[in-house]
Amino acid sequence: MNSPAKYLFPTTIEEAAQALADWKGEARIIAGGTDLMLDLQKGKIQPHCFVSVDRIHGLDQIRVEDDFIVIGSAVTFANLKDHPYIDQHVHVLADAGRSVGSLSIQNAATLAGNIVNAMPAADGVMAAVALEAEVEIVDIEHTEWKPVESLFKGPGLSNVDPTRQLVTHIRFPRCEDHRGTAWYRLGRRPSLTLPILNCAVNVFLDDSGGIIQRTRIALGPVAPRPFRAQEAERFLEGRSPSAENIRQAAEIARGETDPRGNVLRASRNYRLATIPAIVENALSNAVERALGFVTTPG
Amino acid sequence: MPVSFFVNGAPITVDVLPATPLLDVLRIELGLTGTKQGCDHEGECGVCTVLLDGESVRSCLTPISKAEGRHVFTVEGLGSPGKLHPLQQAFIDTGAVQCGYCTPGMLVAAKGLLDRNPNPNHEQIIEFLEGNLCRCTGYKRILMAVEIAAAKLRGEQAEFKNEYPVVGKEYRRMDAVDKVTGRAKYTEDMVMPGMLHGRVLRSPHHHARLIALDRSQAEKLPGVIRIITAGDIPGENGLGDYSRDEPILTPVGDTAKMMGAPIAIVVAETPQQARTAAQAINVTYEVLPHVFTSEEALAENAYPIYSQGNILTQYSVKHGDLDQAFNESDLTLETRYQSSFVEHSALEREASLAYIDDKGIVTVICANHEPYWHRNYIASTLALEPTQVRVITPPIGGSFGGKQDPILAVTVGLASFLTRRPVRIAYTRKESFAATPKRHPYDLKYRIGAKQNGQLTGIHVRINANTGGYDAHGQYIVHFAVTGSGGAYRWQAVDSHAQTVYTNGPKAGQYRGFGTTQSTYALECTLDELAQKLGMDPLELRLKNAIEQSSISFLGYPIGESVGYTEVLKTLQPRFEEYLKDADAYNAAAREKGEPFRKGVGLAGMWYRFGKSGTLKVEAHCELASDGHFVVYATAPDYGQGSNSMLTQFAAEILESSSDQIRLVNADTALAPDSGIQGASRSTYFVGGAVCKAAGNLRKSIQAVASELLDCDPADVTFSDDKVHPAQDPTKGILLSEIAAEFDRMGRSRRIAGFFDLTPQFPDEKRPQYVPLFCTGAQAADVLVNLKTGVVQVERIVVSQDMGRTVNPVDSQGQIEGAVMMGVGTTIMEEVIPDATTSFASYYVPTIKSMPEIEIHLVEVASRHGPLGVKGIGEAVMTPTAPAILNAISRAVQQRIREIPATPERVLEAITTSQKEGLML
Ligand code: FES
Ligand code: FES
Repeated sequence: MNSPAKYLFPTTIEEAAQALADWKGEARIIAGGTDLMLDLQKGKIQPHCFVSVDRIHGLDQIRVEDDFIVIGSAVTFANLKDHPYIDQHVHVLADAGRSVGSLSIQNAATLAGNIVNAMPAADGVMAAVALEAEVEIVDIEHTEWKPVESLFKGPGLSNVDPTRQLVTHIRFPRCEDHRGTAWYRLGRRPSLTLPILNCAVNVFLDDSGGIIQRTRIALGPVAPRPFRAQEAERFLEGRSPSAENIRQAAEIARGETDPRGNVLRASRNYRLATIPAIVENALSNAVERALGFVTTPG
Repeated sequence: MPVSFFVNGAPITVDVLPATPLLDVLRIELGLTGTKQGCDHEGECGVCTVLLDGESVRSCLTPISKAEGRHVFTVEGLGSPGKLHPLQQAFIDTGAVQCGYCTPGMLVAAKGLLDRNPNPNHEQIIEFLEGNLCRCTGYKRILMAVEIAAAKLRGEQAEFKNEYPVVGKEYRRMDAVDKVTGRAKYTEDMVMPGMLHGRVLRSPHHHARLIALDRSQAEKLPGVIRIITAGDIPGENGLGDYSRDEPILTPVGDTAKMMGAPIAIVVAETPQQARTAAQAINVTYEVLPHVFTSEEALAENAYPIYSQGNILTQYSVKHGDLDQAFNESDLTLETRYQSSFVEHSALEREASLAYIDDKGIVTVICANHEPYWHRNYIASTLALEPTQVRVITPPIGGSFGGKQDPILAVTVGLASFLTRRPVRIAYTRKESFAATPKRHPYDLKYRIGAKQNGQLTGIHVRINANTGGYDAHGQYIVHFAVTGSGGAYRWQAVDSHAQTVYTNGPKAGQYRGFGTTQSTYALECTLDELAQKLGMDPLELRLKNAIEQSSISFLGYPIGESVGYTEVLKTLQPRFEEYLKDADAYNAAAREKGEPFRKGVGLAGMWYRFGKSGTLKVEAHCELASDGHFVVYATAPDYGQGSNSMLTQFAAEILESSSDQIRLVNADTALAPDSGIQGASRSTYFVGGAVCKAAGNLRKSIQAVASELLDCDPADVTFSDDKVHPAQDPTKGILLSEIAAEFDRMGRSRRIAGFFDLTPQFPDEKRPQYVPLFCTGAQAADVLVNLKTGVVQVERIVVSQDMGRTVNPVDSQGQIEGAVMMGVGTTIMEEVIPDATTSFASYYVPTIKSMPEIEIHLVEVASRHGPLGVKGIGEAVMTPTAPAILNAISRAVQQRIREIPATPERVLEAITTSQKEGLML
């Protein structure tokens, strides 16, 4: 095991940023560690020091504020799905959390880690993209909020540099009325596996419920980065949330994507063939929720 | 860096590197080996689950620093043998423990659940256990156990009640207590002073010639004790009759025929040093062309993998006039079915430990199916007499045929022999995927005929079994392929031929249902196609042609055991019909509502020839120990299927004592007699038979001696726990320990042999592999297909299995459920793709979420020769699962799928074809 020699538990954000600065690129932030432990073994990373976010005050909190839901970077996927507000109002995030590995991984893995790890179809990331989440990034000099979508450089490559910066919070706009979200995931088995496809959607209706004001459709893995089906989104905006419109949007989404085949999971053709079904399913569940119907996902 | 935390309440400080996995700290630093490891710190199996402040985590992915100041809970904290936790007790009672390797992780995960939610529903239990793989049980009993324990902990009355009446005494698995408390020591849990670690360097190419090997750099590395190559082998560089062509180490100049072929062994002080040194060995290869399928290997211009060509063995059965049979048929049908490489995926990775004992005997602790065979292979490689080698069988964390391969035992024996030190080699999961045998992929072509009334006429079969780069027992598979190819049916004329074909895929060898499973799959699917073409009920078709006691079998000879196929089918019939009705109703409603789901129901039967490997005469011993206990000596390795308990239970039945009165010495070549190989589900029938004989002989002997002391007729001597007494007077008892003393005074041996011998029943039988012992069974599957994604959920399976006699219903049902679940896996998800599949992350074993409802009907048509009327079933039950499921899928999508696994992709293709053909799904 290629363990670093040091493992620090700062209790404040400043301390953590300072530690990163002191180690001059040789230290690295660690949250749940479920991905980093794998990277360590493979020799993909060789830090001299880990700086944990686990015990930084406040980062294990989920805050429901007036305008935003704010999630600390030490919050695990299990915390998310167990949180009453998230469970009731942000289905896409709760269900995406349930899709990550299995419970004993969800008990450790964090949404922040998922984002910084920058895998193109990470379940938490897809949900964050659909929710139009922003990420608070802190280093020794600055603090800034950046849209989660702007952080991806490429598969496994993030614009957040965990040897210099730490993610402290993730936030997304709060909204309960006329809004619905949904999640769909397709895999070679029902749990404990990477997705063949996953899809996170977020739909805002107008007050009458008759018009889609805005929507976000995130799809993976169909591109080297988390993908948004923007043409489908634009198509839906201003239209009624009818079954036919949803069906058409799902077709448009297929046309926008350029998935690759993977011999262990599914071919490009299979992905293309099933994208409409899963987008349609997720969209109609989200619309039903936005209209106040209760449905079960999937 | 020092880290302080609590383990099961006790404060602990360790000084290790701060990101050392918690798993390694528990197992290596603290010696708490109850927590297991089943993958390479990848988070893919769940057997390492512990609680961290009450929440389940993968200890292999948890850096130890994360535990600083926190509470870690492991199986060792749950309860002890004298004071079992209700979860542990319920796991034992329900039969949720088979090999026991997943058990600690399951128990701990369940504890995490119950601490938080004392009254969980089904879904919640599944959610908490979905990350924990179990390969043996099929999960059902684990779920039941958690429910019972939860009720007990809530203070409710809850006892496990088996729905099936128990024959004989109430019984529990004898080794289950060790397994639920984490005390069972599997090979990876053992340490010996001065123990070295071995690592095998393997070929990275599918096919390559070894041009040169330079070990000089590697030898200089720290910790390296010795590097062993082919030239260092004192005896034979091979595996005798197990594998004709497979070297222990590939010599320079020879070709390595699969990726993972062994090249050299490094022995070093630590596993890490051995690994580093293996990478430093400089090998020059000439890469050769490779193929993965039998079709490519048989092509005219195919590269010869072996100088004698790419066919290893052939076998055929031919009788009757096939042309005439087809001419007289109203319908003939041709099909081609294919299957893929499948990995056993026992949760314990292969490991073996060898040392030289104080008498100079090379002692090898290794999983096996026949320690005497392993002993012989080791001896011949070391150029020793077999008696200079001892093989001991440790607790085994699952095999399913995989651990019958002796190469690891021989490799470790060699390493210890050459270094004169204890050496352990533990495969990584990746190595297990690369180096251990898989199930043979088959390519099967069928032509069958029938009359309009359903009567079967002729059958023509051609089978290519892909054995990968090496024999690994593939030479024998042709017999089994042919046996399965015609099934338990009456045919007028038969021409069935099978050949084993070399490719450069992973070597294929023993796998539960050796060779029969794949041909049964193709036959039973082809029969389903036939039934559909004839417009006939598939069960009626089978009933009409079912083999009977007096029939000449498909193989051309009569059947030597009782046949219950008609009973099996009739038992299944009402449930099958209900399934069909349910599916029709469901589909009608789904069409009406425009829902994209369809149900399908499929049926398949099977016959399975058990007990065919090894001799017809088997030996076991039974002893009256001086303290009054009984000791059974036999050889029937327990890899999780429960033979330890079975042998004990048989002896207990005959000696009318309780199981705790009986000790067992099983599968140790220094102590127990050779009872023949345990492939082919023969342990119950053959070894159980020998134990019954030995126990019977001992019983008579005790009665003779006791009758003198008790002054009664020998037949009146009655056994009652640790005493014997005259039947008429229970008060006049004598302790068995006193009887033992009397034996000694008389100079009589207290250890008595017994033989189970079928030679008189089959006097002309010169070829043990043809012993005509068969059992039969059938299954129906009910599946739900998503028409938009091709995803299949197997919802229900009903099993009807001829057991002969059910000795232990809990165990039988557990075995059946596990086999069915394995069948679900191989039918819809499991597949080793050469070049791509490397580990559990790329090989999909069913989790608890794929568990169907399983209903079991144990049919009892008593065996004629088996002990207590039993038959061997462990492998047989897996056989009909795949064709039943595939038939169900094909019927749901109205299109035949002729390849397993039926991945979502293949199923969706079939759906698309149906839609293009305008079929109304
Ligand atoms: S050993 Fe931890 S999940 Fe496999
Ligand atoms: S009992 Fe679960 S893996 Fe063997």
